[in-house]
Amino acid sequence: MSTPNGAEPPATPVIVAQNLTVGYELHRERQRLTALRDISLTVGRGEFVVLVGPSGCGKTTFINAISGLVKPWEGTIEVNGKPVEGPGPDRAMVFQDYALMPWRTVEQNIRLAFELQDLGLSPEEQRERVDRYLELVDLKGFENSYPYELSGGMKQRVGIARALVSEPDILLADEPFAAIDAMTREAMQGELERFVAETHQTVVFITHSIDEAIALGDRVVVISYRPGRIKEIVDVNLPRPRFEYDFKTEREFAELRDHVWHLVKDEAIQSARGAVR
Amino acid sequence: MSVSERTEAEPTETTASDRIQDVEYTARTWWRRWGAWVVTAINLTAFFALWELIARLNIINPLFLPRATDMLAALWEGLTTSAPPGAVVSGSIRDHLFFSLSNLGIGVGIACLIGIPFGLLMGANKYIDAILSPYVWAISSMPRIALVPLFILFLGFTRTMQVTIIVLSAVFPIMINAWAGVKTTEKSLLAAAKVFGAKRHQLYTKVVFPYTLPFIISGIQQGIGRGLVGVIIAEIFGGAKGLGYLIQRAADTFNSALLYAVLFLLVVVSLTLIQFTRWLEATVAPWRRLDRL
Repeated sequence: MSTPNGAEPPATPVIVAQNLTVGYELHRERQRLTALRDISLTVGRGEFVVLVGPSGCGKTTFINAISGLVKPWEGTIEVNGKPVEGPGPDRAMVFQDYALMPWRTVEQNIRLAFELQDLGLSPEEQRERVDRYLELVDLKGFENSYPYELSGGMKQRVGIARALVSEPDILLADEPFAAIDAMTREAMQGELERFVAETHQTVVFITHSIDEAIALGDRVVVISYRPGRIKEIVDVNLPRPRFEYDFKTEREFAELRDHVWHLVKDEAIQSARGAVR
Repeated sequence: MSVSERTEAEPTETTASDRIQDVEYTARTWWRRWGAWVVTAINLTAFFALWELIARLNIINPLFLPRATDMLAALWEGLTTSAPPGAVVSGSIRDHLFFSLSNLGIGVGIACLIGIPFGLLMGANKYIDAILSPYVWAISSMPRIALVPLFILFLGFTRTMQVTIIVLSAVFPIMINAWAGVKTTEKSLLAAAKVFGAKRHQLYTKVVFPYTLPFIISGIQQGIGRGLVGVIIAEIFGGAKGLGYLIQRAADTFNSALLYAVLFLLVVVSLTLIQFTRWLEATVAPWRRLDRL
């Protein structure tokens, strides 16, 4: 059921983090806060890896290190065999608060990646891509709507389409459904599974919902509270597509959830106490 | 664990016509729609009627309070007739209005040309911010009227002096709003732009500037309000034209109908300009209108 440190090497490694230590500066206090310490993790092509852990365990920092928004302090992080120097078109991100430009229509938001970098696509190819991903996320007919006219779930569909439209090697998702109401959230999880099945996307997904982690992930990486370390990597072998059947009533699901909860329970309590700072 | 028999609801086809139906148009719905306007109309009519009554009963000396009808007559006459050459306070308001409005336009225009770039630069660069902000805060917190004698000393009773005062009145709200827009640009939007490949200059053109635009428009709105104060101050203090001058002269010549007419006109002009900028803001940034509700 679980391997202590991801023993099985995945197919083709896309992301390789080795002894990664990273954090951020606290300007006012002139301090450096180590968010993650000594993380080693390999993500294979087409894999869906979910990072789960209490608030403030450095999950976001890890995803930011992959995206190139923050630089490693120690250790290395490589994408497709090359060290991460900064953001690039091979990685795209979905944000917790959607991060859609409110002055842009749905279509203009999705086109953002085309405008900011040259992907070598002709206007027709861009048009065709935008259409295809609008279709995929079921937003046909909303091209000219503005984000403020959409519900949370629809906004995040735009966020997902915006990320997928450049057809990145890696999709990074930072608690993308955290701000969405519980029912829509469940539906969006099923939708994401469908998108990923269709695009064979490699995904690194962050959540603090254990249910969400097990529902979506091929592997669940449990991270401990500050500074974050990998506590355990849990394999999820529930057959896909999971949202086609009642996987939550499966015994394996219940066992996995129980297992992960016991891993994070103490950490979560510590995090809840430390949250006041 | 046994799951008892699930009863599935009959699948029903919902169409738009099921959900959206026309409501019967009654007096009640009419009132809900137009009631506020009716109340406003009654309210204003009552106000002018009461004014007229008080003036006609001579409760207040007519030198201080003209009849509302006299005021409106003066306003009508002033707006429809041109002043004969030489007669400065013949009762023509039109020329003075155009003069004041063009001064305001020039002043607010210059204030935008100065305020927007400097506000953006201060927001974007902490060194420029550190160097300029003491002066900005010092001058903007000072009552502008205190500077008028100084400008008269420097520039005399000229149009340049008047426009300078207007610029000085309008520039700071514009500058400070532009600065605030840059400073409060949402971090996640910047992160998104970076992740999708934005270079440094694109962060400004694609995120910071569009985000700041509605702030700049509110700045201009405040700038117009302050600028209008500047117009009147400058004209009351020194000048031979404009609504401020007209107010001053009307008071000096005990022409209370004209005095009230100009004050009334100022209210109308000010409200119109503010409504225009509000409309502009709502058009340029409809998402903010929702935020404020």
